[in-house]
Amino acid sequence: MADKSNLGMEFAPYTFEVEKGKIAEFAMAIYQKDNKDQTSPLYTDLDAAKKAGYKDIIAPPTFQTCFALWASGGLMPLIQALNINLIRLLHGEEEYTYLGTIHPGDIMTGKSKVVEMYEKEKKDKPGKFMEFTVIETEIRNQRGELVIKSRSTLVER
Amino acid sequence: MAKNIYFENINIGDAMPTFTSDPITRTHLVRYAGASGDFNPLHHDETFVAMFGMPRVIAHGMLIMGITSHAITEWIDNKYLKNFKVRFSGMTEPADLVDLENTKARATITVTGNVVKKFAEGGENRIQCDIQAVDALGGVKLTGSFIAALPSK
Repeated sequence: MADKSNLGMEFAPYTFEVEKGKIAEFAMAIYQKDNKDQTSPLYTDLDAAKKAGYKDIIAPPTFQTCFALWASGGLMPLIQALNINLIRLLHGEEEYTYLGTIHPGDIMTGKSKVVEMYEKEKKDKPGKFMEFTVIETEIRNQRGELVIKSRSTLVER
Repeated sequence: MAKNIYFENINIGDAMPTFTSDPITRTHLVRYAGASGDFNPLHHDETFVAMFGMPRVIAHGMLIMGITSHAITEWIDNKYLKNFKVRFSGMTEPADLVDLENTKARATITVTGNVVKKFAEGGENRIQCDIQAVDALGGVKLTGSFIAALPSK
C-alpha cells in the first residue's frame, strides 16, 4: 500500500545523455519497425531535420520516458521508494508539457516529486479502494533550460 | 512526417487523419522494453503474469501512448506540439503468432481525434484535439488530448 507520508517526497535528480542511437531505437519501438529508415526522418536523418527547421535530429514526443528508467536503475527503485506493490501497479495517466526541443548530445537532468496521493473507491467493489500517486518531473538540459514537464499518475488496484 | 498545416485551415470538429498500427506482437513489447528501459515482467514474462491469473502478457501503456504520438506527428509537426496527455483505460494483449488471424484484432490500435478548441495563448494560435486509441474489437486503450501551436498564413 502506498505510504501517504511519501507526499512531497523528492527523488534524487537523475542525469541522462541523449544519444542518436537511443533516439533511433526508441523511434523503431514506437513505429513497430525493424529499421530506423522506416521511422520519421526527423528522428534519424540530420539533413531532413535541418530541412524541416531543426538544428539537429529530434526525439519522439514520449522519448523522455526512458530517462528516469535508464538513468536511475529502472522501475524497481521507484516503486520500492514509494512502497508500491508491483503486482498491483498500473499506469493511470501520463502528461507532457513541451517547452523546448531535445537533440543528441543534450545532457538531461530530471527532478521528480510526489505531488498528490489520493484514493478512489472501486466501482465494482464497494469498500475497496484504488490508490493514486502523482509524480511531477521537471526535465532540464545542460544549459538549465526547462524542456519538458511531466506528470505521471500511478495506480495501485 | 507531417505536412505544412495552418491555423486558419483548421476548424473545430475537424478529424485528424486516422492511423492504424501493425498488430502488436510480443517482439514489439520486447523492443519497447529495451528502448524505454521498462522491464516490468508484466510485459514480457508469461510465467510472471501466470502467478496472478493473467492469461498472457500485456503491452506497456507507454507503447500505446508512443503509437498515439506517431499518429499525431503524421499530422502535426513535432515542433508545434505543446502538451500531450492520456488516461489509460484498457490493457492491450499482443497477438498470438500461432493464431494471428483470430488474435490480431485485439492488438491492432486505431488512433482517431477531433479538434475541439481553437484559442490564443502566450501570443500563439493553438488548437486542442481530443484523441482516443481503440483496438479493432472496439476496446478503448486510452483517451486524451494534445495542444498544438500552429503557424498562421
